[in-house]
Amino acid sequence: MKTIKFFTISFILLFTFSCEDDNNIGIDTVSITVEDLYAPQEGSQGQSISGPFTKFNFEDGIQTESETNWDIGFRGTSIIVNGGFSLGTDDEPERNGNAAAYIFEGTMEEMQIVDTTLLIQDSESGYAIPTGSGNGWYTYSGSPTFLISPTPGKILVFRTHDNRYAKVEILSYYLGAPENPDAFTDPSRYYTFNYVYQPNEGATTFD
Amino acid sequence: MSKIYNLYFKILSFFVGLFFVYPFSIYSINNQLDSTQTVLDEIIITATKTERVLSSIPLNVSIIKKNEIEKTNATRLSDVINEELGLITVSDFGGSEGIQMQGLDSEYTLVLIDNQPLIGRSAGTLDLNRISVGNIKQIEIVRGPSSSLYGNNAFAGVINIITEEPKNGLKGNVTSSYETHNTFDNNILFSYKKNNFYSSVFFNNYSSDGYDLNPNDELNTVNNFNTNTLQIKLGQNLGESLKIRINARYYTQLIDNIAPNSLSGETFTSENNINFIISHESEKIKTNFEVYFTSYFGDEFLDDEQGDRFSESFYDHILLKPEIKTVYTINKQKEFVFGLGNEYETLNRTFFEIEPKQNSPYIYFQYDYNPNEKINLILGGRFDKYKEYKSQISPKFSGIYKIKNNESIKISTGYGYKTPDFRQLYFNFSNSTVGYSVIGYNVVENVLNQLIDEGQIANIIIPVEEFEDPLSPESSFGVNIGYDREIDRKISLSTNLFSNSAKNLIDYRVIANKTNGQNVFSYYNVNNVSTFGFDINTKYKADNYFSFSIGYQLLYAYDLDAIKAFENGEVYARLTPTSPAFRLNKKDYFGLYNRSRHMGVFKINYNVLNKNFNANLRLKYRSKYGLYDSNSNNYLDKYDKFVNGHITGNVNINKIINSKLTVSAGIENIFNYLDSENISNLSGRIYFCRIGYNIN
Repeated sequence: MKTIKFFTISFILLFTFSCEDDNNIGIDTVSITVEDLYAPQEGSQGQSISGPFTKFNFEDGIQTESETNWDIGFRGTSIIVNGGFSLGTDDEPERNGNAAAYIFEGTMEEMQIVDTTLLIQDSESGYAIPTGSGNGWYTYSGSPTFLISPTPGKILVFRTHDNRYAKVEILSYYLGAPENPDAFTDPSRYYTFNYVYQPNEGATTFD
Repeated sequence: MSKIYNLYFKILSFFVGLFFVYPFSIYSINNQLDSTQTVLDEIIITATKTERVLSSIPLNVSIIKKNEIEKTNATRLSDVINEELGLITVSDFGGSEGIQMQGLDSEYTLVLIDNQPLIGRSAGTLDLNRISVGNIKQIEIVRGPSSSLYGNNAFAGVINIITEEPKNGLKGNVTSSYETHNTFDNNILFSYKKNNFYSSVFFNNYSSDGYDLNPNDELNTVNNFNTNTLQIKLGQNLGESLKIRINARYYTQLIDNIAPNSLSGETFTSENNINFIISHESEKIKTNFEVYFTSYFGDEFLDDEQGDRFSESFYDHILLKPEIKTVYTINKQKEFVFGLGNEYETLNRTFFEIEPKQNSPYIYFQYDYNPNEKINLILGGRFDKYKEYKSQISPKFSGIYKIKNNESIKISTGYGYKTPDFRQLYFNFSNSTVGYSVIGYNVVENVLNQLIDEGQIANIIIPVEEFEDPLSPESSFGVNIGYDREIDRKISLSTNLFSNSAKNLIDYRVIANKTNGQNVFSYYNVNNVSTFGFDINTKYKADNYFSFSIGYQLLYAYDLDAIKAFENGEVYARLTPTSPAFRLNKKDYFGLYNRSRHMGVFKINYNVLNKNFNANLRLKYRSKYGLYDSNSNNYLDKYDKFVNGHITGNVNINKIINSKLTVSAGIENIFNYLDSENISNLSGRIYFCRIGYNIN
């Protein structure tokens, strides 16, 4: 296990030794924890939101400025994929890959085989990962704590821009992933998440 | 509005000032501090709409008498309710305190004053702090669904506040109390009765500086407020059998509002109740004709630092209810009650798509049958006709069997319902800071189309066709089985098993996504809830000085659909907020929010009659409960944060100086229990003193 610090991101690579599988031609799946990936936005809830998305590449496990070599992007609570079409908000990057996504209900361990029929891409009517509390990956508590919490049991399943697969469990939206986040004092829009990446093109299993 | 209010308040203060000066004022307790013998003539009216002896009633009923309230120096209805077994007050975010009864929420208990309903549940809860107990004769509590007599809202039970009737001659008393937080509660009551005429005037002023449990934010937990209540009763007998009575009540409340971002303003509410009663009595037939009018008005505004209006809203609710009721006594064994009436209701408020008006006629009957001296059976039912939703038939059956003079078993079953409120039907609200919208069920199509035209809707999740069938009233079916026994003159025991199954409870859900990333919500019938458990209450009179009472309630309160979700393995949690999620099973489900599994009440009363001295201590225990879902899975499970179980205690001493003067003092929340994050209505230890004076 080794830890690399890169800007505000640090991540841990965990190489897991996987079982032999027909789908799995040699290269092992990779388990990574990304800490405090910052995804700022301009304009608050209810107003028009703008600002560049924080783009991320699963294979490298880091934030990227590349206009093509990215898989997903974050801005505030919104998550986009590099596939399909822009919803039309300000500053959305061009989709030039084949990425897609769906939400699996269960635990990270239970998510073993990608159901490719469920994959959808971003479109003019909505993102592949729906926005709004309870629709996508998070739950907004409202009064009195006003916390954004990753909904337990929601695993985000992605096809990358170049036809690999990854499963993601978001763990925190606050800087330092505090045990007891406080929406009034802890800086938000910092993603901490676990993911497992399947580096073999077209392979749909994670074991 | 506030100018008129201020003028009004000044005049009243002057009036009050004529009688006494703070805080050296005077007060009295009319009755003796305690009655030594068991009262045999406790009459209750709420259970049957006829006057009945409490111990003969087959329903789960109880009475809190004036002298019990006086001993504890309670000033508001919430103080009294909080000390009762199986009843707790729950605060909503606006600071209103409602009643939770047998595990059912505060929206579901009907609250009456002198047999007539109070309105003004702007956010669902009827605030018990609105009701002064300064002129109360007794509080009658019926537990269990009671729509067979009372129709709408008698879903969990009924609380009826009976105010005092004038006694012969001219009487008057004044009480004044002063508490921590600069809280004043002052009462003046004058009554006059001679021959065929009576009248009474009651005035109460209740004010406080409020308090703040979280000094770190700019908000107060309870803002500075001032309330006034004026109640007038008039009665005249016209010959032997005809009586005319008028009960009128006027209430105002003014709160200094402080909001985030340096906003400030005022919240004003007022309430008017007038009940006009003509009753005719003959040997076998008693007829009552009543016309009741009540209005509740609320106005709220916030200004910014420059004094410019930031927001303003109002709420104007009216109910007009004529009713005729006849009690026909066939013989000692059989009695019929028939009633016929109409409720006309209107509501005018901000964020409403229309100004709703509703007429709902109703009819009810009750058959009260004593086949022999040991058995009493009551069969009843009511029909309420509604246009906007399904008309309701509410049956009831109950029976009591006296095993011996001092031992009885009873069973009662009944139906209760609550119609969707106007907000659930006609709301049209968009939050200006966060950007979400809430739409009433009946106006979904109109408002949604409007939003679509304005380009605000990204996609529709629930098609509009799903809103074609009307929203159903929420309904409950309850069973209470009781066993009461007076073991000897010292010990008595009362137990009750209860079960309520509630259907079609209304919740909200997302019906569309907006282009700003927020949601559009509307209401729907979804939840099925079950609450069950038992109460056990014992009273023990040790000697002439000491008496004790101890009570315990066990309560289970579940959402049946939640149980299914746990069984199906659809619910997940994390051990810590940032650890991987795992699946929960049925055992992990805790139940509904804000329900404690165990509740206990313990009271000691110490009386020295010849010294006119009384001291009492009351303790209440609530086991742990969860207020909200803290781990984002939408359910309350054992991995959520809980409010700790706790005991609160109040202690009091009362001394009658002479026939005119009484003094009292005490401490509320003696253990200084505080949980600023979760319990907003406990402000720490409160000291108070009180003086009373009888004028006559």
